[in-house]
Amino acid sequence: MLPTSVIIVLREVLEAALLISMLGAVSGMLGLSRHWAGAGIGIGLLGALSYSLGINSIAQWFDGFGQEFVSATMQALIYLLLVSIALLVLRRTRHEDARTGSIPVLMALAVALAVTREGFEILVYLYGFSSTLSQLLTVSMGAVIGAGIGISLGVLLYYVLCHPAIQRVPFISFALLALFGAGLFSQAIKLLIQADWLPSQLPLWNSSNWLPEHSITGQLLYVLIGYEATPGAIQVAFHSIALLVLLGLAAAIGRSRALPVDQGKVS
Amino acid sequence: MNRFRKIYRLALALFGMISSMAAQAGRPVFLIEIRNHLFEPEQVVIPANTRVKLVIYNRDPTPEEFESYEMNREKVIMGQHKTVIFVGPLTAGDYPFFGEFHPATALGKLVVE
Amino acid sequence: MKSIRGFLVTALLATMTLTLFLAALHGYRSSMVEVQALLDAELTGRARLLSASINGQTHKEPVASLNGQRAFQVFRNGALLWRSDNAPDTPVTNRAGFQDINFNRHRWRTYTWTDENGGIRAIAAERIDVRNALAENIILESVLPVVAALPLAGLLIWFVVGYGLSPLRQLADQLRRRRADDLSPLPAGQQPVELMQLVNSTNGLLQRLEASFGRERRFASDAAHELRTPIAALKVHLHNITCTLPEGNPELASLVSAVERMGNLVEQILALYRTSPDHYFAQLAELDLHQLVQESIAGLFPAFDRSALQLELTGSTALMSGDRPALETLVKNLLDNACKYTPAGGKVSVAVNDRPHGVTLRIEDSGPGVPEEQYTRIFERFCRLGGDQHNTGTVGCGLGLAIVQHIADLHGASITLGKSSFESGLAVTITFPRHATPHPGAA
Repeated sequence: MLPTSVIIVLREVLEAALLISMLGAVSGMLGLSRHWAGAGIGIGLLGALSYSLGINSIAQWFDGFGQEFVSATMQALIYLLLVSIALLVLRRTRHEDARTGSIPVLMALAVALAVTREGFEILVYLYGFSSTLSQLLTVSMGAVIGAGIGISLGVLLYYVLCHPAIQRVPFISFALLALFGAGLFSQAIKLLIQADWLPSQLPLWNSSNWLPEHSITGQLLYVLIGYEATPGAIQVAFHSIALLVLLGLAAAIGRSRALPVDQGKVS
Repeated sequence: MNRFRKIYRLALALFGMISSMAAQAGRPVFLIEIRNHLFEPEQVVIPANTRVKLVIYNRDPTPEEFESYEMNREKVIMGQHKTVIFVGPLTAGDYPFFGEFHPATALGKLVVE
Repeated sequence: MKSIRGFLVTALLATMTLTLFLAALHGYRSSMVEVQALLDAELTGRARLLSASINGQTHKEPVASLNGQRAFQVFRNGALLWRSDNAPDTPVTNRAGFQDINFNRHRWRTYTWTDENGGIRAIAAERIDVRNALAENIILESVLPVVAALPLAGLLIWFVVGYGLSPLRQLADQLRRRRADDLSPLPAGQQPVELMQLVNSTNGLLQRLEASFGRERRFASDAAHELRTPIAALKVHLHNITCTLPEGNPELASLVSAVERMGNLVEQILALYRTSPDHYFAQLAELDLHQLVQESIAGLFPAFDRSALQLELTGSTALMSGDRPALETLVKNLLDNACKYTPAGGKVSVAVNDRPHGVTLRIEDSGPGVPEEQYTRIFERFCRLGGDQHNTGTVGCGLGLAIVQHIADLHGASITLGKSSFESGLAVTITFPRHATPHPGAA
């Protein structure tokens, strides 16, 4: 029971923590304040609570595929928000006077959506054990361990990305964001296939022999880049397109000379 | 952003229509129940290279998450509720699934023949 | 503002959490394997015991199981001999060894034992949820302290990092408390190696700075000092010329005034450098400001008399610590100003009082006064209001109030300007602390 709760909570917390770290590093690069993180987490927790309270009716939408719809929408929206952020940053590097005011808002939204989706999973899981105290204790301890590992990884990634040597090469942070965002988009596609809104196909390949999805590395890669051991062609195609779009933006940002900007405003 | 959202919703609605038509066209349906954190039946035999519809009833008061790495499926089923998951087409073989919230007991597999 | 302490505490705590929790998980897993092996061994033992105890007997009644958590079945050649009441009549498994299977609404860990003849088959089963909970309870005891200790570790890290950074904080404190003009080297002896380079570089910088400041100061005061003698000679010669020439020559009068002004300027420059902080602190002494003012007035009385000014001194003994020559210069400059700017027949009043918040010196005149918006400007060096137009025609160099400000700063005193209680005129109030603490901004 303990390892299960660790894995479930870790997977969800890690996803949010990585997103916050990468966006934090990007806003450090732009010299923006980081108040959006707190706002995003706060709104996200409220969202997670509302989502779990309303899950019974949400699950009934679309002939019982409401859950897939809401999850996929949120993941796709996060991806689109990341694309918008990258576009705004790119514009900022082209035009010195471009406004950056909306970037923190988009970041807060992306974090809020991620926390909503991941907080929902954790809340539903913990809710299942709320009636038996002894189990709840074990599961909460697992949750603490999972959250501790996830947050620690996020913190360490943040400090690595904030290192001056890495901040000087914006491509690194944006490329990581691209891998992460494309992974989310691919997960959204997977949900649409699951709901039968996109055709299901035989897997394009099967890499579960040398990197099983349920192994620790597999889980980590699933969170980080949306790794699937047996993906269908549609999923691979969408994943690649999503990745190429964000990677292209990352390369464009990396090529421009104007980053980091606003050094004076770094707080 | 708003425009993106509209397009996205439109696309989803379209997929929804197609899917309901496809569902009416008739996919084989298989029932699985979750009871006392166990899958009943433990083993479900489905035809190969066919898309099938799994209807899963959660008879427990607590939520469960149906998950399968082999089939790329993941869905939360709240207590005392049912849900639908489409799987396949699959090649012949064993496709294990489990209840992620109770992986020690909630274990089962699809046998594709 | 980035904080080294914040970074160290967060990064250390994150590293510790990561390693400790992963280690705890690893410990949990290996303990779980051990405990499961132990429970499996027990299950094996039970199956063997069952097969031995049945010993050729025929069908027996089902026995009540222990809380329904364990079950067993014994068959001979496929026929049921004995079972627990929570096990079905038919074999739950046909394979030998360990197997996890569902029956009777639970998932069970089973072990099937077949004796050498192959006739007897005993199946012992144990509920997996119960078994896992049992194993988990044992192991959790060892994992719990790791998790519970983390907040404590966080607190300790906070303090330890704070302690480790204290030399840095102390160094910053030393630099912050230092007077702006204190260029003495920082103590290098007790610094940790990481700060040594910083302290050495800072000290080198301070040394070069002090040397160049000293050169500048010496040059100015030497120059002023050297100028005194020729100016004195100039004055003497001028006096002699005045005696030989007929009176009332306007060019001569302006020459006298110019020389007078030059002499004044040189004296003021000397006064400014005499009152530099390094001189000042050697000369701090207890004195009575009232008496000091009285003496200064006595010295300046002839000038006031010439302008037919009424001068009055009020107040009483006011003891404070200060630098006597500097304070004399301060009082003299203020009185000079009052004398210069007050038209003939005007009034100047001086008050020295011992107030609870310190010793106050208030000098008021009935001159034209200073417009409020000029209050800050008049303390600037070489500032002269309205160009060079003293209606009294007296000489001035614009250094007087700058020197007053400088001396007041050295004493940690505050200066306020306002309107005098006469019909017009300026009131200057200086409040000295009873015990002079040097103002860090004094330069």
